[in-house]
Amino acid sequence: MGSTTIKDVLISLTALLIFPGGLFLLLVSLAYEWVDRKLLARMQNRVGPRWFQPMADTIKLLAKEEIVPDAVDASLFIGLPIVALAGVLTAAIYMPFPGLPPIGSFPGDLIVTVFLLSLVTICLGLAGANTLDRFSLVGATRTLTQLFAYEAPFLLALLGPAFVARSWEISEIISYTDGRWLLITQPFGFIVAVIGLIGKLEIPPLDAPEAETEIVAGALTEYSGRGLALFRLAKGVALVLGLTLIAAFYLGGVATPLLFLVKTLALLLVIVGIHALFTRLRIDQTVGLWWKYGTLLVLVQWLGIIIWQGVMI
Amino acid sequence: MSEVGKRESFTIPIGPQHPALKEPEHFLISVDGEIVTDAVVRLGYAHRGIEKAVESRTWVQSLYMLERICGICSHIHAMAYCLGVEQLAGVEVPPRAQAIRVLVAELERIHSHLLWFGVSAHEAGFDTLFMYTWRDREKVMDLLEGFSGNRVNYSVNVLGGVKFDIDDAQAIAIREAVSFLEERTHHYLDVVTKDTMFLQRTRGIGVMTRSQAEVLGTVGPTARASNVYREIRVEAPYAAYDKYPVKIILDNRGDLEARFVVRLTELFESYRIILEILETLPDGDLTTRIPRRIKAGETVSRVEAPRGELFYFIKSNGSDTPERIRARTPTICNMMSVMKLLVGHQLADVPMILAGIDPCFSCNDRMVALNRGRNKEQLLTWEALRQYGIDYYKRRSD
Amino acid sequence: MKFGTMLGDLTISLFSKPSTERYPFERSETPERLRGLLIWHPEKCIGCGLCAKDCPAGALDVIVLDKESKKYQLRYYPDRCIFCGQCVYSCRQGCLEMSNEKWELAALDRSAFEIIYGECLENE
Ligand code: SF4
Ligand code: SF4
Repeated sequence: MGSTTIKDVLISLTALLIFPGGLFLLLVSLAYEWVDRKLLARMQNRVGPRWFQPMADTIKLLAKEEIVPDAVDASLFIGLPIVALAGVLTAAIYMPFPGLPPIGSFPGDLIVTVFLLSLVTICLGLAGANTLDRFSLVGATRTLTQLFAYEAPFLLALLGPAFVARSWEISEIISYTDGRWLLITQPFGFIVAVIGLIGKLEIPPLDAPEAETEIVAGALTEYSGRGLALFRLAKGVALVLGLTLIAAFYLGGVATPLLFLVKTLALLLVIVGIHALFTRLRIDQTVGLWWKYGTLLVLVQWLGIIIWQGVMI
Repeated sequence: MSEVGKRESFTIPIGPQHPALKEPEHFLISVDGEIVTDAVVRLGYAHRGIEKAVESRTWVQSLYMLERICGICSHIHAMAYCLGVEQLAGVEVPPRAQAIRVLVAELERIHSHLLWFGVSAHEAGFDTLFMYTWRDREKVMDLLEGFSGNRVNYSVNVLGGVKFDIDDAQAIAIREAVSFLEERTHHYLDVVTKDTMFLQRTRGIGVMTRSQAEVLGTVGPTARASNVYREIRVEAPYAAYDKYPVKIILDNRGDLEARFVVRLTELFESYRIILEILETLPDGDLTTRIPRRIKAGETVSRVEAPRGELFYFIKSNGSDTPERIRARTPTICNMMSVMKLLVGHQLADVPMILAGIDPCFSCNDRMVALNRGRNKEQLLTWEALRQYGIDYYKRRSD
Repeated sequence: MKFGTMLGDLTISLFSKPSTERYPFERSETPERLRGLLIWHPEKCIGCGLCAKDCPAGALDVIVLDKESKKYQLRYYPDRCIFCGQCVYSCRQGCLEMSNEKWELAALDRSAFEIIYGECLENE
């Protein structure tokens, strides 16, 4: 009995800290960041960074001095990036991450996962509100405004597949979606999910909360060194997990690592394309977009699903 | 600025160090939520005292000093100065030299407008457009480098003419690049007038009516986008513009989109003039002799810089150095319109509206005296000014 | 009204070479008229000093070593030079020329910024 518990703990720890969560996930997220930047550069007819650039950036930031401004609550200032990163890393446990079945699962883990992903944004908003910097404050306000705008439609979009799979457990949903391209039956849900991910990660064109030309770096203006590196990592991980989730739900599942790679990268290409193609939206336009079109699309989708289910029965 | 402080509103400082403005200028934007309620500008961080400095240089040396007022429109500054000095000295510049001056001025306008186009796309968060316009702008830069030997301060002008001639190889290169750019400009015009997302950021934003534009004293494309008939190349043709007439581009909408459209449409005029000059370049000398001492007198020289009217006042006392030179640059005329337009807009529109006038901050650091009707003139001697500076910083450090 | 008007550009770029030049690994040809380091040809120099007089940056000194045998020295300070080309234009004798090859002038040592043309004449 005792030995099995130790073994269990060891396995869990490995899963959490090294593979597939933890270290491995961090490396994958850096690789995805590189693909993101490289693709964007190539679309803009530039050369783009070399493969180790994101890693070099992170290491450099980690090694740098972290300046804690006078007027902040120091423990919050230092703690928030750690919470953000820990949150997304935890979310990885319930994910079919590199094409493997999730390590942990329980009924309702989908909701927990989505909220763990939102934790990054909330931490970001709090981090901005924690400082007295005027750019940060505006950034934090915008971050939280945007969070309230996309969160509901995004969640609804992810619940679409859950509804047809009749389960709120990720492992069960993916066993249902495996091989079934819900993209075809639920196209609106897919669109909202992808745009929701863009909004969640504040990728242009929905990057009003950190619009460089207006408010410098938004909520992260005061962050330097380690805190900034951790926030960047957290965002990178959230991107990978978000891609995984959407690919698993809408693109016919990610049953093997190869499928995972192909599908998430294809999704990434779409997101980079949107990034390159559109002008940044103002925050009022972003919110308008969500409430006017995003919510409407999801509701139409849901109506469709419900009617379809009714017909089937 | 203290007035703003008193109201205790939430103020956002933009500059002197800020990623939206790569140049040192300070804007204090008061906001209510996301809406701008007041805007104050403070200029003068890059004051270099060029106008004073030229007084201790010869006429020839001053040319290069003045060329460096602005890195983007360096040629037009040198040209305005040369035209003025030549007028004072009473020399006639050969027509070929005048045509080449105009040619380079138009190339410079292309490069300046494309540069601005990219920057304002970046302000709007459309980096892709930024990258593409700057890539294409490289073509003009290459032309200018090939023609004059330098990318930025071309130093094409000398007093009495120009230094460089156009040969066949140059002409071919220019024609090729111009036809490429023409095609690209059509495409860009398409983007700024049709792209829904981009239009969301430009259409109906920062509207300046014609009467506002006139009252605020705007110049150049900013004024023309509000349907103000103001274009020195048309109203008072200088150099060779009387032989190569320019069509004025106007727009009556007065918003940001109009400013994009006016500037991009102006590019087509520039392309046309360049090709026309290449066709009908008059033969003859490139320079004429000009005395080292310029006859005493004063004159005014006005040219149309890419950003609007550039005005030079030149005074000579008959020696080999200028007595007084005063440049009035277009940005300083346009700056006040921005402060007016910002009020009531979203914070997110601030960089766009500011970029809409194509601000050039190195041009901007000229002195302005506001006459508020008090008519009290103040004249400070050099010593008094120095003492004032010392006292000022002493007070600051206390 | 259109969405994504630049999609064509993006697709073309994605499958073509970046337009960035990978300097210093690859370099495009410098134009013939490029204004690089100033070169002095002493043969025709008459020591009039016009080049130094007109130089806006004070980057030139003409030193008369021996008026009889027309020996002059040109001191040139590339760090002050603004590469305007006025000296080349001012010299009636055509002694001055700007190189289109020597333009990478950064150096760690100040001595690179004081070029004394015509030193050898002194030794003769
Ligand atoms: S190029 Fe201009 S700055 Fe340089 S030495 Fe000649 S005159 Fe002086
Ligand atoms: S201007 Fe020419 S001739 Fe006169 S000193 Fe200079 S290099 Fe010699």
